[in-house]
Amino acid sequence: MIDCDIHNQIGDLEEFLGYVSPGQREWFRAQGAMLGQPDYLWPHPLGWHRDELEIGPGGEPGSTIELIQREVLDVHAVDAGLLTGDIGATVSLMPNPYRAAEFARAHNDWLAERWLAVEPRLRGSILVPAQDPPAAAAEVLRLADDPRFAAVLLVGGSERPYGEPRYLPIFEAAAEAGMPVAIHSGGEGLGLSPSSGGAGAPSFYIEWHTLGSGCSIMAHLVSLICHGTFERVPGLKVLLMEGGLAWLPGVLWRLDTNWRGLRAEVPWVDRLPSEIMREHVRFTTQPLEHTNGHDALLWEMLAAVGAPDILCFSSDYPHWDFDPPDRLMARLPAAWREAIMHDNAAELFGPRLGLKAAV
Amino acid sequence: MSRSWHDVASLEQLEREGVVVTRVAGREIGVVLDPEGGPRAIRNRCPHMGAPLCRGSVRERETGSPGRYELDGTRVLHCPWHGWEFDLESGVCRDDTAMRAAVYPVRVEAGRVLVEG
Repeated sequence: MIDCDIHNQIGDLEEFLGYVSPGQREWFRAQGAMLGQPDYLWPHPLGWHRDELEIGPGGEPGSTIELIQREVLDVHAVDAGLLTGDIGATVSLMPNPYRAAEFARAHNDWLAERWLAVEPRLRGSILVPAQDPPAAAAEVLRLADDPRFAAVLLVGGSERPYGEPRYLPIFEAAAEAGMPVAIHSGGEGLGLSPSSGGAGAPSFYIEWHTLGSGCSIMAHLVSLICHGTFERVPGLKVLLMEGGLAWLPGVLWRLDTNWRGLRAEVPWVDRLPSEIMREHVRFTTQPLEHTNGHDALLWEMLAAVGAPDILCFSSDYPHWDFDPPDRLMARLPAAWREAIMHDNAAELFGPRLGLKAAV
Repeated sequence: MSRSWHDVASLEQLEREGVVVTRVAGREIGVVLDPEGGPRAIRNRCPHMGAPLCRGSVRERETGSPGRYELDGTRVLHCPWHGWEFDLESGVCRDDTAMRAAVYPVRVEAGRVLVEG
C-alpha cells in the first residue's frame, strides 16, 4: 500500500531552526510555533488532528518517526509514504519571498536528515517558494539527485492559478527531475492568496473546508489545461491532493463543453481537456465524499473520467478527516483496489519510491 | 430518394448577403460563401442543439502553441449559438467528430447558385 499524504509535524522547533541559516534564524524563532507561516482564519472548531493520537514533541501528533511508524506505516502495512509536512505547506503564501525561500530550503534539509535518512519507507516532497518561481525551480534542481524526494509540493492557495506562465520554471524543473508536482489543497484565503471561489471570504471553517480547498484544486486543474502547460512540459505529471473528487466529472464535462465553443481562445488545446487530464493528472482519494447511499453512482461518474487509473490512495494522517485505508479499500469496487491502493502511485512516482520491482 | 439540382439564388445575392437559405424536401439548406472555396451548401440545422447553423460566421480556424495565436489556413462555419466549428466540406464538427451536419453539392452556373438536394 502506498500512502500519498502523511503530514509529519515539526515537533522540536529548535531542531528545525538548526537548519535555518544564522542570518534568518532569529526572525523565524521570534515567530513562535507557526514559524512565520500564514495561519488559518478559519480554525477547525475542535482541533485539526485526530483526538485519539499520541501527542508527541511540540504538542503535536505525528511529530516523530516513531509515531508515524506506529500509527501509519506499521499498522497499515504501508510500503511507501509521501511526507507532505504541515505548516510549511503555506510557505508560498508568505509575503516575504526571501524568508519563504529560506524556510523551504531549511524544511527540505530537515526532512532529508531527520526523516528520510531514518525511515526508508518514507519519501519526501520538496517544498518550494512559489512566489519566486526561479528560486523554486532552483530548489527543485538542488535536490533532484536525491532519490528520497519523490514530488514537488505546491499549495492550493496561490496568487494566480498555476497555469500562469510565471510558474512554468517550477513545472519544468519538476519534469527535468523526473518527479510529479503535487498540489495540495490548503492556504486558500491566507497570506498572499485570495479566497478561492470568487465569492469572497467564507465565515466558517465548514464553508472553507467544503469549497475553499476544493475550488482551488478545480482552478489549478482548469488553468494548467487551458494554458497548455502539459504541452509546454510534455513529461509533466500533476497530483491534485485533497480537493475532493465528486465534482471532477462535472468540471471536466463543463470544460469539454466550453472548449468546443471557445477553443479559439486557447487554440493550443488541441484535444478534449478531459483527455489531457487523463494523461497527465492524478488525484488523491482523501477525503472521499460520503454519498448518502449513492456510492455506485459515484463510481460510475468517476469511471466516466478515467477512474480507477487517475486515483491514488491518501490517508491524510494525522488530520481529523483522515480516511482509514482498510475502510476506504473496503468501500472501493474490488476491481479498483489494487490500482488505487498501490499501482497508480507506484507508476506516478516511479523509481523514486524505492519499491522493489514486482517479480 | 432521387436528388435534383435546385436554383437557390443569384451569385450576386449570395455575395451581397453572405448566406442564402432554401428549403428542399422539407429541409432547410443554406449556402454560405467561403472566401477561398466559393459557395458551400450545408444543412441549416446544427446537430448539437438545432441552431440555424448558416446564420453563423465563416472564419479561419485558430491554432498555435501555448501562448501563440496563429491561423491554421482552414475555414470553418462557426455555429451562431454555442460556437462549435464545422468543416464546410464534410460538415463534421472539428472538435466532436460524432457531430455532423449534412452537406450538399453546389455549383454556380450562368450566375445562378445551384444546390443538389
